[in-house]
Amino acid sequence: MLSRTSLKLLLACTLLLTITFACGSNPQSKPDDPVKRELIDDAGRRVSVPAHVDRVISLAPNLTEIVFAVGGGAQLVGRTSYCDFPAEAKSVAEVGDTLHPSLERVIALKPQVVLISTASQLEVFTQQLQNQNIAVFVTDPHDLNGVFRSIEQVGEILGRKEHAATLVQTLRQRADAVEQAVKQKQPVRVFYQLSAEPLYTAGHDSFVTDLMRRAGAMSVTADLPGAWPKYSSESALAARPDAIILPTGGSMGSGNSTVTEALRKSPAVLQGRVYKINDDHLVRPGPRAIDGLEEMARALHPEAFK
Amino acid sequence: MNRVTLRKTVISCVLLAATLLLAIVLMSLVGSEPLPVRASLCALASFGNTSCGLTPDQFDILFQIRVPRVLLAAAVGGSLATAGAGYQALLRNPLAEPYLLGISNGAAVGTMIALVFFGANEWTRPLLAFTGALLATLAVYRLARGRAGATPERLILAGVIVTTFLSSVIVFVTTLMDATRIRSFTFWLLGDLSGTSRAMLPVTIGIAIAGASILTLNARSLNLLMLGERDAFDLGVEVGRVRVVVFLVASLLVGSSVAASGSVGYVGLVVPHLARLSLGSDNRISIPAAALGGAVFVIVADTLARTVIAPRELPVGAITALIGAPLFIYLLKRT
Repeated sequence: MLSRTSLKLLLACTLLLTITFACGSNPQSKPDDPVKRELIDDAGRRVSVPAHVDRVISLAPNLTEIVFAVGGGAQLVGRTSYCDFPAEAKSVAEVGDTLHPSLERVIALKPQVVLISTASQLEVFTQQLQNQNIAVFVTDPHDLNGVFRSIEQVGEILGRKEHAATLVQTLRQRADAVEQAVKQKQPVRVFYQLSAEPLYTAGHDSFVTDLMRRAGAMSVTADLPGAWPKYSSESALAARPDAIILPTGGSMGSGNSTVTEALRKSPAVLQGRVYKINDDHLVRPGPRAIDGLEEMARALHPEAFK
Repeated sequence: MNRVTLRKTVISCVLLAATLLLAIVLMSLVGSEPLPVRASLCALASFGNTSCGLTPDQFDILFQIRVPRVLLAAAVGGSLATAGAGYQALLRNPLAEPYLLGISNGAAVGTMIALVFFGANEWTRPLLAFTGALLATLAVYRLARGRAGATPERLILAGVIVTTFLSSVIVFVTTLMDATRIRSFTFWLLGDLSGTSRAMLPVTIGIAIAGASILTLNARSLNLLMLGERDAFDLGVEVGRVRVVVFLVASLLVGSSVAASGSVGYVGLVVPHLARLSLGSDNRISIPAAALGGAVFVIVADTLARTVIAPRELPVGAITALIGAPLFIYLLKRT
């Protein structure tokens, strides 16, 4: 019932918006910038971006973090309500949350580029922004290299290529240091519990699966299709993980701080190897993912960091 | 009850109960993790004998995860089908169904309020779900009663209004929830049997059995009510009392199952229809038959939900709707 209703609502809204923009969109589109750059985004789209970008909107917390990390905070004119880091981000105008951004407000802020973190959620939205001559750039990292690529792409868009390159270099060094430290260690069989009820975990397409591998762990769900699949309790029990990672304590607050019932007797719980890691470092594919990597590696292989 | 009806009731209920038992045992053998069949059967038959050759992990999978989930599926299916049969008899409308009338949505809103405000206390969930279901039932009933009495069309219209209104309440509340909870919440809204704690299982089962028994005891009055409220009254049925009992019991059944598993759709529609088609419209047979059949239906649907893409899982509501909607169209065409 819910989905049918929301579908109808969505249809009605789309129709209204289409009519609105069909009638009044053309005055907005200025003559094209003489110099436009063509970039390929993670959805494989060719995105034409103005040579000089000074107004950008980020529709995901990780992208907001990247914008600030490459020194482009002054160019950010809009963000979502989930974008709470760094502290300066909070003084930037809000355009709604990640799932329901306000199209009106986005357009009113006159961005040249809108950064989106996955293509799937906002297809209609993307089309309408493009009609307004606003470039939409989609990022969709599935591993740490994908995160580095996002940083380079955002740097490129904002004209901060060198900043981005330096940042990626520093982050890569930290990641390499972690990998060096745990290289000789036996990988720990880990279960990543995204939420307990119902049970969600990290699958093959999640960048955190790659982070775990680099942290000297082997995720028992590494081969599961998808990024964040719902997982069978009995399979979790049968997997007998030696450690459990609970992303919690950041945006999650005190949520997800207990192990799911099926794993209460797992070797991980019996040996006291349940590790709480700040969820903002593990679910946001941005610069702080390296913090998450370091925290996981230190938790799993404390002796390697003495 | 005359002897022929009694015999028919007993025979069909015994057969269905045997099917239910078989479904519980067989479906407990199936899951994302393969278990040795012979050892599992031995452990099941001895109610948890540890010397049947199952490893401790296999034993836990069977008795801590699978059997409780199968039993929960049975309780939810039995509750929803019984409630559907009750509404259909009382409202004299074959389309009356907790999901389609918005009663499940009422229970869902109640559960959401419990989750948001009393998150830790799981006893508030069925309680507020029951309250929500009851309020939705009363709203539908009042809206449906025009000057000319409650016509079937009016009832369905009232159901659509209540459903859409409560859906927007749900959408509103989920928008206020933080992003990390929305995913698990939408999964729950579609009906999901994976997340219920063991503490609530006996309560859900108890309510299912008690509810089905109470409605079966009122089946004779419901039979007479199907002739029309005035005729039933003339024949000595305490119409008001029966109405209150059915509304309360059905709301309790819907409330407890929604609190345990979200809104599993179509069960209350398809199963009572099948029961009436195969056994006739005598409520003394069709209500207990719907209860047992509903249990079997949801057990099978949930087994599909947890095995088709194992070790990942689907929401069981998606499966019941997938089976239920085409079956419903078929039934509509046939009758």
